[in-house]
Amino acid sequence: MNPKFAEFLAGCRDEAPLQLGVMPFGMLYGIGALAAGLPAWIAQLASAVVFAGAAQLVIVQMLAAGAGALPIGLTAGLLNLRHMLYSVSMAEHLRHLPRRWRLLLAYLLTDEAYAVAILRYRATPPPEGAGAGSPDLRHWYFLGCGFTLWLTWQLSTAAGLLFGASVPAGWDIDFAVPLTFIALLTLLMRERAGQAAALVAALAALALATLPYKLGLVAAILLGLFAGVWATRLGRERGR
Amino acid sequence: MSLEAMLALLAAIGIVTFLYRYAMIGLFAKRSLPAWLHALCRHIAPASFAALTASELFVHGGEVVLALAAPKPWAALVAALVAWRTGNVLATIGAGMAALYLFKNLF
Repeated sequence: MNPKFAEFLAGCRDEAPLQLGVMPFGMLYGIGALAAGLPAWIAQLASAVVFAGAAQLVIVQMLAAGAGALPIGLTAGLLNLRHMLYSVSMAEHLRHLPRRWRLLLAYLLTDEAYAVAILRYRATPPPEGAGAGSPDLRHWYFLGCGFTLWLTWQLSTAAGLLFGASVPAGWDIDFAVPLTFIALLTLLMRERAGQAAALVAALAALALATLPYKLGLVAAILLGLFAGVWATRLGRERGR
Repeated sequence: MSLEAMLALLAAIGIVTFLYRYAMIGLFAKRSLPAWLHALCRHIAPASFAALTASELFVHGGEVVLALAAPKPWAALVAALVAWRTGNVLATIGAGMAALYLFKNLF
């Protein structure tokens, strides 16, 4: 087999088990998007253009709550900020690649693709010197990871859209989106700093509920961030 | 929101998200990010999810409504307990939806 293709397939294979966790989120997003009044083609397009699960669920939830474009944009912009951390971590491994490769792999840089691909980069050293031994093909592995996740995300979005269209409105199926947030929140709150951020953000969201366009949500998230950072710093000082 | 506004919003979010991903790989030569950005990123998800959940459960039409007979907050509480015990997202959604149907018929 072509070694590039073998590397690509290895990436697909190692990414595959994570798809079980990704599929329900894609379906939920599709179901929630329809319930929020998003036309199906726009919901599917967003899965290709935005390609970030948590942000897409948040966009849907905020649209359903009647939020304006500015608060939705700001919240999604904040939520996706973490991709810059992945970008900096990947940069040294991708620096030698031509621009078209870097553009493609940047587009495919999601939580789950990063998590699998970075392990490959850390586990196998790059080939020594130019022309020595075998060439560095690990970007094909990364492409396999990214492509697998991309395909799952598009297909599960489509499945959610198909399923959502057949569910009667009285079933409150859109409530599954905040339930997802509760599940993720509970996992994140096992850390003390996460607790402070979540508690302050929740209380502030209620206190600032009267602000127009749901801008209170953005303010609440920012207050939660400061509380989280402050709690972390406090915990570190106490630990000293 | 109009169709045009929605498309523009999604395009803007898509572009910004791509720029985050491409920033360090393709745009800047800088190899590190400030420590405060790392610290901030850890809290963005819990803060966002908490604010959205609180708002979904207790804000209706721009007003805070704390009603004891509303089924959704109670269903959310059941879901939170299941999430706490199992750490399983699907079980949490299942329990929350089941509780919602139950409480809607009780209240």
